[in-house]
Amino acid sequence: MSSIDLFRMGIKNLWRRKLRTFLTILGVIIGASAIIVMLSLGFGLSKFFEEQIAQWGDLTIINVYKGWAEPMPGREIPDLDDKAVESFKLLQNVVAVSPILETYGAVINGRNVANAPIRGIDPASMEAFGFDIAEGRLLNNTDSLHVVFGSSMEYNFRDPKARVWREVNVNLMKDRMSLTLDPNYGWSMPGEKRPNYKEYKIKTVGILAEGDWETSYGIYMPISELQKMIKDKEKAEGQRPQSGSNRQSGYDRVNVKVNDIKNVQDVQETIKDLGHEAYSLNDQLEYTKKQAGMIQAVLGGIGAVSLLVAAIGITNTMVMSIYERTKEIGVMKVIGASLRDIRRLFLFESALIGLLGGTFGVGTSYLLSFLVNKFSMKFGEALGAYGATKISIIPIWLVFAAMAFSAFIGIVSGYFPARRAMNLSALEAIRTE
Amino acid sequence: MEELIRLKNLRKVYRMGDEKIVALNDITLSIEKEEFICLLGTSGSGKSTLLNMMAGLEKPTRGEIIIGSYPIHKMNERDVTKFRQKNVGFVFQSYNLIPTLSALENVSLGLTFQRIPKSKRDKMAKKMLTDVGLGKRLHHKPSEMSGGQQQRVSIARAFVGTPKIVFADEPTGNLDTKTTMEIMNLITGMAYESNQTLIIVTHDTEISVYGHRIVYLRDGSIEKVEENQNIIKGEAN
Repeated sequence: MSSIDLFRMGIKNLWRRKLRTFLTILGVIIGASAIIVMLSLGFGLSKFFEEQIAQWGDLTIINVYKGWAEPMPGREIPDLDDKAVESFKLLQNVVAVSPILETYGAVINGRNVANAPIRGIDPASMEAFGFDIAEGRLLNNTDSLHVVFGSSMEYNFRDPKARVWREVNVNLMKDRMSLTLDPNYGWSMPGEKRPNYKEYKIKTVGILAEGDWETSYGIYMPISELQKMIKDKEKAEGQRPQSGSNRQSGYDRVNVKVNDIKNVQDVQETIKDLGHEAYSLNDQLEYTKKQAGMIQAVLGGIGAVSLLVAAIGITNTMVMSIYERTKEIGVMKVIGASLRDIRRLFLFESALIGLLGGTFGVGTSYLLSFLVNKFSMKFGEALGAYGATKISIIPIWLVFAAMAFSAFIGIVSGYFPARRAMNLSALEAIRTE
Repeated sequence: MEELIRLKNLRKVYRMGDEKIVALNDITLSIEKEEFICLLGTSGSGKSTLLNMMAGLEKPTRGEIIIGSYPIHKMNERDVTKFRQKNVGFVFQSYNLIPTLSALENVSLGLTFQRIPKSKRDKMAKKMLTDVGLGKRLHHKPSEMSGGQQQRVSIARAFVGTPKIVFADEPTGNLDTKTTMEIMNLITGMAYESNQTLIIVTHDTEISVYGHRIVYLRDGSIEKVEENQNIIKGEAN
């Protein structure tokens, strides 16, 4: 029997028992959409977690610290120095490396003060690290006391002497600014004796575009300048520069930017293998992804139960259909239907039930997904995702996977009945009245 | 004449619980090409079993069935089906039409399994139905036709692929006398026209006169084989 005839005959047979076919398909629709919607909640949750973590900082940046493991014989903890920085640059999938120095200080603009983290960075690496400029330019190698402001810094200026709150207008690009590493600038207590911190005149060269929580708050400057400033600060505070073997060599922290989020894990492992400590938001992401995956598995399992019931429904329908059509099958066998034809016919019918159920199931789940998202606040909160905009996400591959899987379920469910039909004795069958 | 079917020491034993029932016992028979054979016997004589065995629907307990060059008794179900598809047509007592299909669809169903394209098989089925006198009832369902008409559809279905052999199992068992004659004339006439071999099973001696030879069966054995001198030649239409 040719495929087109098989198709025609199969559809005709299903059409003959419209109600039963419809009810069976309905079962598959419910099963398929249950699975799809449940899985879509998992995807939505996973996406939500990812977005949330992406707000905390760049997911493709690895923070490398000096290793702290117990020194073992034959294994030295490597220094996090320029040599290490160079070696990181040679790693595969790494696009930029910069040592980072972070301290806390204040930016002074006349009476107004903004306290903020001050970060020293290799000016040449800024662009590669993905810093986006909103105004002005990024740092370059010739800069010294030049700074780039985080996007939200403008709103951090306050007048410490003011008794009531009032709005402060600062023009970051044009106003004269100075910088101090005095952590309590402007907040002195009466009678307190304080070290004499230096104030540095600074020149603003740019303001960053709105980014994540880390880059929006703080100011950036060349790391070499910040190193000098920290030395000054230590002097002012009366600390003696560390000397001899106690002197910590190299940097506290080095940031490594990776080209793609999927390579972060690999690069991180490699750096750890070199003897350094490495952290990234990816760690957090992996953990939450695992969590989301677990929730998804539980939800999917609930959906799978209903698809299982639907599969049994298909088998039942096909077995009933064979009882009804026993004679017909016998006649077909006698007048020349091969065993293969009979099997194909029944498998096709059950596969079609599965496929139709899957297809309409996809449609139904889009509708359900729409409704879930419309009332997503409550659903999201129930699942622990506060403030998620879209809690149900149906990826396009899931659509095709669901349809293929439903058809597959149909074939599996129809396998036993099809075998049964195939093995019916033609003679017995035509004797059946 | 050329031999087409050879049955050699054919035996069939059914088991009914602990009891053995010998349906056929040591049947040896040779049927020639283009011959019309009537298997005549009362119910339980084994005539239908013999027919089913020749059509490959049942396996003998012992013995050989050779049709042309095909050893039917040795072939598996798949090969027998293929053989049947190409070489055998069937007419049943109870018509065995598929109730949900129209006359045309019933006739062309067998051609479907032979992978003949729809337009061609519809044409073939239409011509065949016209030949059996149902040219105006192509799209009627079996339930909308009389017994005689249903049997005509069934005959059209058996002959449409021009098989070498047509088996007819009590083709007129459910029909009145007048229709019986019409149907028998039709079957033998068509088989005669296309030089086909016809094997008719019946308990009715009035039917058996359509055969060249009449094989009398009794309790599973051949009682006698009689040359029929007064053969009635059927005519299609």
